[in-house]
Amino acid sequence: MKKFLAMLLAAIMAFSMVGFASASELAGTYDITVWVAAEIVDLTKAQIETYNQTNELGITFNATVEAVSEADAGTNMIVDVEAGGDLYCFAQDQFARLVQAGALAKLGVKAGETVAAANDPSVVAAATVGDTLYAYPLTADNGYFMYYDKTVIPEEHVDSLEAIIADCEAAQKYFSFEMQTSAWYLASFFFATGCESTWETDAEGQFVSVKDTFNSPEGLIAAKGMEKLVKSPFHLSSSSGAEFSSNAAVVVTGIWDFETVKGILGDNMGVTDLPSFEVDGTSYHLGSFSGCKLMGVKPQVDPVRAAALHQLAQYLTGEQCQTERFNERSWGPSNSAVQASEAVQANPGLAALLMQSPYSVPQGQIHGSWWDIAKVIGDDVKAAADEAGLQTALDNYYDKISALFTLDTSALLFVGAWNGWNNADQEETYYLKNNTLTLDVPESDYMGGRIVNPGDWGTDKGFAQVTVGKELIKDLGADNPDNNIVFAEAGNYTITINGADINIIKN
Amino acid sequence: MSEMQNSRRHMGLKASRTLANTAIYAFLIAISIIWLIPFVCIFLQSFRVESTHQVGYVIPQQWGFDNYINLFQTDFPRWYMNTFIAALVTAVFQTIIVLCMSYTLSRFRFKMRKPLMRLMLILGMFPGMLTMIILYRVLKDLGMTQANSVPGLILVYVASSGMGYYVSKGFFDTIPKSLDEAARVDGATRFQVLKKIILPLSKPIVIYTILTAFMAPWGDFVFARYIAFGASAGKNVAVGLYDWLNKDQISKCYTMFCAGGVLVAIPVTVLFMCLQKYYVEGVTGGAVKG
Amino acid sequence: MKQYTDLEYLKLSKGQRLLYRILSFLCAIPSKIGGLFGALWRLIKGAGQAVANETRDIWLTFVNGDWKTKLSFLVMGFGNLARGQILRGLLFLLFEVVFIGYMILAGGYWLSMLPSLGKVGPTEEYNMIFDTYVTTYNDNSFKILLYGVLTIFFIIAFIYTWRVNVKQNQMAEKILATGKKLKSGKDDLRSLVDDQFHKTLLSLPLTGIIIFTVLPIVFMVLVAFTNYDGTHDGYYNNLFTWVGLDNFNTMLSWTAGTGSGTQSYAATFGEILSWTLIWAFFATFTNYFLGMFVAMAINKKGINLKKLWRTILVMTIAIPQFISLLYVSKMFAKNGIVNGFLMSMGWIEQALPFWEDPTWARITVIIINIWIGIPYLMLITTGILMNIPQDLYESARIDGANAWQQYTKITLPYMLFVTGPYLLTSFTGNMNNFNVIYLLTGGAPTNPAASSAAGTVGYTDLLITWLFKITTGAESQYYLASVVGILVFVVVAVISLVVYNLLPSIKNEEDFQ
Repeated sequence: MKKFLAMLLAAIMAFSMVGFASASELAGTYDITVWVAAEIVDLTKAQIETYNQTNELGITFNATVEAVSEADAGTNMIVDVEAGGDLYCFAQDQFARLVQAGALAKLGVKAGETVAAANDPSVVAAATVGDTLYAYPLTADNGYFMYYDKTVIPEEHVDSLEAIIADCEAAQKYFSFEMQTSAWYLASFFFATGCESTWETDAEGQFVSVKDTFNSPEGLIAAKGMEKLVKSPFHLSSSSGAEFSSNAAVVVTGIWDFETVKGILGDNMGVTDLPSFEVDGTSYHLGSFSGCKLMGVKPQVDPVRAAALHQLAQYLTGEQCQTERFNERSWGPSNSAVQASEAVQANPGLAALLMQSPYSVPQGQIHGSWWDIAKVIGDDVKAAADEAGLQTALDNYYDKISALFTLDTSALLFVGAWNGWNNADQEETYYLKNNTLTLDVPESDYMGGRIVNPGDWGTDKGFAQVTVGKELIKDLGADNPDNNIVFAEAGNYTITINGADINIIKN
Repeated sequence: MSEMQNSRRHMGLKASRTLANTAIYAFLIAISIIWLIPFVCIFLQSFRVESTHQVGYVIPQQWGFDNYINLFQTDFPRWYMNTFIAALVTAVFQTIIVLCMSYTLSRFRFKMRKPLMRLMLILGMFPGMLTMIILYRVLKDLGMTQANSVPGLILVYVASSGMGYYVSKGFFDTIPKSLDEAARVDGATRFQVLKKIILPLSKPIVIYTILTAFMAPWGDFVFARYIAFGASAGKNVAVGLYDWLNKDQISKCYTMFCAGGVLVAIPVTVLFMCLQKYYVEGVTGGAVKG
Repeated sequence: MKQYTDLEYLKLSKGQRLLYRILSFLCAIPSKIGGLFGALWRLIKGAGQAVANETRDIWLTFVNGDWKTKLSFLVMGFGNLARGQILRGLLFLLFEVVFIGYMILAGGYWLSMLPSLGKVGPTEEYNMIFDTYVTTYNDNSFKILLYGVLTIFFIIAFIYTWRVNVKQNQMAEKILATGKKLKSGKDDLRSLVDDQFHKTLLSLPLTGIIIFTVLPIVFMVLVAFTNYDGTHDGYYNNLFTWVGLDNFNTMLSWTAGTGSGTQSYAATFGEILSWTLIWAFFATFTNYFLGMFVAMAINKKGINLKKLWRTILVMTIAIPQFISLLYVSKMFAKNGIVNGFLMSMGWIEQALPFWEDPTWARITVIIINIWIGIPYLMLITTGILMNIPQDLYESARIDGANAWQQYTKITLPYMLFVTGPYLLTSFTGNMNNFNVIYLLTGGAPTNPAASSAAGTVGYTDLLITWLFKITTGAESQYYLASVVGILVFVVVAVISLVVYNLLPSIKNEEDFQ
């Protein structure tokens, strides 16, 4: 009901009320600060100038464009939101932190619809929490692939990790793949074997559940593959294209290093998707993250200023500006129309990214701490003496993911579903306060559920951690094999737990 | 017989001394090379024009001043001026404050003296890094962050400099007290004693203090970075150069970073070379006696 | 344990003396702790006594004072004004006016909010007309804490000034009763460059220290008792509030899993602390002895170009560390020029793991630190070495002492005696040597068990770099950083205390004058 009302409200807003603001109401001059990557500072200045001259709303921006690295923007915003840029670009991995830090203003209904329609759906999903967009997609090229030196690695070897390692060792050249300091790169091995770390947030951006299968038989296979690489004396934990001039034969990095590598290797540069590794006779193609860069609007106090800033953000991330950025800096667009253009399709760097794309995983929403927790797997795997050591590395990782949530085993949950368990969308979780829960059941047989231990299902903070199975604290007998509590009649129920007994009283 | 022995011993002594000196020369040459290698490398890198990223060799394939020329197309001159101003103003005020503090604690005997020194000793044991966050907020309330961070930096450097009084107090302690007393008997006020008697004798420590105060701001990339973020105009040279090492910039700015490094090193090194004598006198006069 | 008399003590060998000093220090600990409690009790008793005395004195001043004095209790400086000390009176009055004004306009609010640190966080609203979200910011926990503390400082200052004001009235009455004249404003001003010159000199430095050192430290200590972090930043997202000793429990608990991952914070802290101590020890003493050796080599008779050698070494001081150390760090990388050189010479088959292996990395940072530290030590020791009376060496030589004997019997004891306190400060300085570790390794290689959501911990991380990582890490756990900071303080304080007790002589500072 609540959801329905919310949707209705949104619909009403979208179709009837929005846009009351006429052009003259936004007209004016605004002093703003914009944070973008160093290489597009001049371009962005020009784009804002163009906007000032062409917009029909009478808006003039007096913009200070500062070079702030997309990797730093998040950290800086969190130090002090007020001092941050009114518009700022950041890499996707910082999105969750920024939402939680209150550093991103939500998009209005109209802007949200326009942006969602114009951009690649996976990128839109990356900027969405609940049903709301929090940022404007800027690029969709934040992925990695393999650059190699053709004089060291013969073309027939580029598909095999083992062959490449052997070639590097024979030539005393380095295989550069950032395994020890970056979760973003090392996830490659886990994605190869089908592991996932999928996080979900509620409407406020709080993480409510994670499906993480890094610690699994598949994860162990991934660790074995990673072991081959990190234990090679010619493995280098770096993702800088410049390593080619410091004795590297292979570097795994992204499109941003294209010019650098080209400058060093010239015609000897090879670009391709990541190789496969082999464990116990099975071959696994290395995966990758495909992420994006986003542009955020700092939360504003004044609605007029906020609306004007959103107008500019929409323009700067729109089709025209993305095309310009692609033309001048080869930034891979997120805008569907620009993506489809011939020039983009023909770009060699983007082509390599495209080759890797069948094996890539959209980055989605990931808990800000995951990056710190996962990045030590590389060191742990390197230090592992045997298979048990590899398993310990994964156990350690899993412990830390669990430790993100403070478990309160004294609280119990009632997990219920409307119209049966198969309909996962309609799952609801209720917390038992002092072992008691009062519940409204609107229809007979409408809701069934089970009482579970939060250690296996959820926590008092609202985080849910999906593990194998859900432990039931009471067996409801043979005639109810699923151990579901089913409410036969509509009405208001009080459920109390007394030791192992569950008492259900209809009020 | 004994004469012969003597002269043989003498010769042996001379030979062993020559041997020892040769060994020492070899040692000094070796460490000089080790000490200079990084600087020579940085210096050479700054003249490399064939590429702008880090490379695995030392000697450039193509030489030129491109990096230095490019440096002046960026905000580098601005950062350089910021740092220079900060260093200069800090040097002046910090010297005044340190001298006030150390002179007082060395020469005056008042009730709160010992507790004050103890308090400052205790305060000095707290890691200063911890207070970055709050100093940022205080400066922000004063409007001295981001683009205006130069006065903020100066304020923080100068304000807390009173804590570093040990070395110069140690120096003042070595100036005989009888000098003051004689002048006091002649009717000089305390201020006149300071001006006419103590200061003229304190040239080494004054120069030492100026020198250390002037040098510190050139290398501050932690605190300055914390308060100047997001505003190129407020960066000092250390922050500006340090930010070029960011992943998205390093491959385009590395040689420029080296060139910038050379330009930063030159004035400080020259100054240091010229005033080295006083530095040594100051530090040996003060450092070990506090 | 046996107590030696002075004579017996002097008969002991060097090693025995040190052992004796350490043992007697350890034996004295119980009585010292007892003494500490005794001192604490005396302090409390003394404070109580002082308050009682002051109160009585204030009361007597009021009862015995004339009307001018009595009115001064309410209107500060009235007594001074009425008795012709215009300057003092005006200053007192001004201070009172400013204080009352501040308390009404702002101080009262900050003080009243201090217990809760704010009630209403920011709220976000949808503005239908502009189809946009607007945020309203409300209470600011950070400012409440900051200005709350500042207000308390101000109140203490006010009480103190008020007390001085009362006392001055009492004194003035006494002086007038003996028929003498009171000091005029001119006299007061003159005394500021003479009798009271130290107040003039100290006023500026102390103000700076109070605002930019004491206040921040008090603030950060208080933060350890709150939940201030990236998602409770007190203004932009959630307010923060007092949490009592929770953070200390987290940090000092040995049970793993309280947010730290595979290892408890206490274990991580212990690991980092022990490496910090090892590092500080080696960093201090390798530099000390090698620096001294280099200084002696340069100063040796018959060595020419003294100035050149010194100048070359001193360049490491003059060039900012963020330039030189970053470059040196890269030199020792797996594919850096050091490994490249060694491999091209055929001395090694594969790269040496300078930064990859924990033990290698620790040794490498200590060695590179020598590169940084020797020049300082060389400068310092050069001066001291020249101060050693040459006749000591002459007579030693006549007695047939060789160079090594001269060194151990004359140079070293003299140096150790003179530089004892310097060694201590340099030890604690090295414990907090942020630059070298941060620029060279950034803490690497990673210690997986100790790393957690609060930040990655490496084998070369010192407490200070760990603190920095917690502060700037993904979670920005300022409260945890604050706890670590307090613990660093405790460690440094304990070490300083112990070492001072063990030092041969705690030198009387007057000795040098």
